[in-house]
Formats: sequence, structure tokens, C-alpha cells
Amino acid sequence: MHEISLVRNIFRTLKEEFPDDFGQIRDIYLTVGILSNVQPIAMENAFQAVLEDEPGYRNKNLKVEVLPILIHCHYCDKNSLVEQYRFICSYCGKPGKDVIQGEELLIKKVEFED
Amino acid sequence: MEAIKPKSNRAAVGSLQCDNTTFNLLKVNDFVAKAIRDRLPEVLVVNLCSSPGSGKTTLLQETGKRLKGKINMAVLVGDPETERDAIRMRDVGIHALQIVTGGMCHIEAQMIYQALDHFDLDGVDLLVIENVGNLVCPAAFDLGEDFRVTVLSATEGDDKPKKYPRMFLTSELMLVSKSDLLPYVPFSVEAATLDARDINADIEVITVSSLNGEGLDQWCDWLIERVSEKKSKFQEA
Ligand SMILES: Nc1nc2c(ncn2[C@@H]2O[C@H](COP(=O)(O)OP(=O)(O)O)[C@@H](O)[C@H]2O)c(=O)[nH]1
Ligand SMILES: [Mg+2]
Ligand SMILES: [Zn+2]
Repeated sequence: MHEISLVRNIFRTLKEEFPDDFGQIRDIYLTVGILSNVQPIAMENAFQAVLEDEPGYRNKNLKVEVLPILIHCHYCDKNSLVEQYRFICSYCGKPGKDVIQGEELLIKKVEFED
Repeated sequence: MEAIKPKSNRAAVGSLQCDNTTFNLLKVNDFVAKAIRDRLPEVLVVNLCSSPGSGKTTLLQETGKRLKGKINMAVLVGDPETERDAIRMRDVGIHALQIVTGGMCHIEAQMIYQALDHFDLDGVDLLVIENVGNLVCPAAFDLGEDFRVTVLSATEGDDKPKKYPRMFLTSELMLVSKSDLLPYVPFSVEAATLDARDINADIEVITVSSLNGEGLDQWCDWLIERVSEKKSKFQEA
């Protein structure tokens, strides 16, 4: 898995977006869809490992939220939850692969120190 | 030096000021993938994925022989280390370049984009990217391909589609490889197909063997058709 490179990606993204306030970032909220194949615990451990490696990054926390898979059905115009990786509409039973949630790999929110 | 401690649940600390943002960690990759599509309007790009050892390189060697004189194929092959697969392709006359990912478990669009600067695609109709053997990570990285093809070999077990759903969700074609071994292993092509179609109702399935040639003509015809579709789309535009 590539958790370490993802963590480095998080830092790179945040440094670009907050060049002046990067040092004040305290909590980073990550949203990952089930389909992103990112394991929250592996991600958090990779985050810790990178923190240990880069003294400048200390005092930051990562919080990972996992989102289930939702698909949209074109026949009934409704969204349904995908369970057991069965990509079928729970209203009409037709197959669908219009994924509207579940592929995320996002920094959702950042909280700064005062 | 402090040892790295695996993390358990830890409470939030400090008084905080909120800032609502949304940064897609793959946005750079997706941006470069689009640049690859724009750069290759006439070349069909196929991203070939699988577990290690499912027979991708052997399949491409056989494919190259069969496509000779019909369409012009080139291959970019990714591996964590070594040049071996590119050498195997060149041995059978395929125009190939190795991308050594330096230990990385997947190819990113940036690597393809850079490789294109060093790879002559003049007269090439079909560019196949042999991805790093891994059914998890490559699934998340768009390489600017037109089609994603996943190879599942008979020796891996027919339960893989449900174990690696995203790969099968994002593939247009599943190749069941090493079909010459089907009589000797407990692998049901039907069960694998049903599971793959549970995830992706539209996925096509072709059973192939690089050893005895089964299905290779069908696979090559599939490629030739996709190439001609892409070319006519380009000419219309
Ligand atoms: N029986 C059988 N073995 C195959 C077939 N295709 C490849 N192999 C063997 O599987 C192994 C891995 O093949 P390779 O093409 O290097 O797989 P890759 O890692 O996916 O590129 C090699 O020992 C091949 O000889 C096939 O169709 N039938
Ligand atoms: Mg190979
Ligand atoms: Zn429906």
C-alpha cells in the first residue's frame, strides 16, 4: 500500500494551500470512501511515522472518516447504499455503477491552533 | 530517539479555529491524466492491471506477434525494480520502455507523462501500459487510458473480483488468463464472471491462454475494434 506517499501528499497539499499558516495546523480531517482502499488505521500509523521523520511536522493529528458507497439509479432517480459490493439499485434492482460517494480521498477540514 | 508508536484512539487537543476546505489528494493525478488524453487523441491507451505473475508480460508478447501487420502496438511497462519485462517485450520485436517505479506499488499519471517524452509514438495505434502487479493501489490512479483491462489468472482463485472490487468496477474487460490450467485448479470462470458482474454489470470477459493460444484472437480482435473506434472518433472531431 501507498499510505506513506499519501501522507506526504497531504503535507504537500497543505503547504501549497497554507504557505503561511502551515505550522499552525493542528487537526487534519481526511475523508476516504470505501473504494479508495485506504485503511484508516494504516493511514494514521503512516502519519505518525512521517511525523517522527520530520521534526517540523510535530503536533499534528490526523482524523480519518470512512464513507460507504452510494450509487445513483437512472431509472428511478434515487440513490442507494451498496452492500457486499453488489452494485444494484435497492429500489428497482437494476445494476448501476454511477458511484456518487465512496471513491473520496479528500482533506475535508483543517483546524488551526489559536 | 523516540520509537514510533502505533496509534490507538487519541482525543483532540487544543482550542481550535475551523476552516472548511476540500482538497482532493488525487487532483494532481487526475489533472495529468487529462493531459495524457489530450496529448494522445489518436492512440488507443489500455491500462493492463493484475496481481503479480498473472501473465501480463507473456500475454503482451503473444499479442504483439498476432497484431503484427494489423496494428502497431507499443508498451510501457511498470515494475518496482528491474528492466526485465521491457527486455522480454523487445526480444519479440515489441517497441517497449520500462518505467521503474522505485519500489512504488502503482504507476501514477505523472510517470506516464514523463515517459512519453522519451518514447517515440510515431505511427503507433495502441499503447498498452502494463501496470505494477497489484490489484489494490493502481485502481485509484487514472493513467489517461481509454480502457482498463484486468487480468485474473486461473491459479489466483475465482473469489478475487469481490476482494478487489474497485479494480473490477473500473475495468471494461476482464481477461481470465492461463486457461490451459483450468482443468487442474478449482477455478470457475462462471463464478468469477458472476461476481465481477455483481460489481460491474457491463464488464466483458474473455478467457485466454498464452500457452495454447485460446482466446487470443478474440482478445486481439477486441483491441483492433477499439483502435478503429478511437480513430474514427478522432477523424469525426
Ligand atoms: N500455464 C500458463 N502459464 C503462463 C501463462 N502465461 C504466463 N504464464 C507463466 O506465468 C508466469 C508469470 O508470467 P508473466 O507474464 O511474467 O506475468 P506478469 O507478472 O503478470 O507479467 C511465468 O512463469 C509465465 O511463464 C499461460 O497462459 N499459461
Ligand atoms: Mg510483467
Ligand atoms: Zn433504480
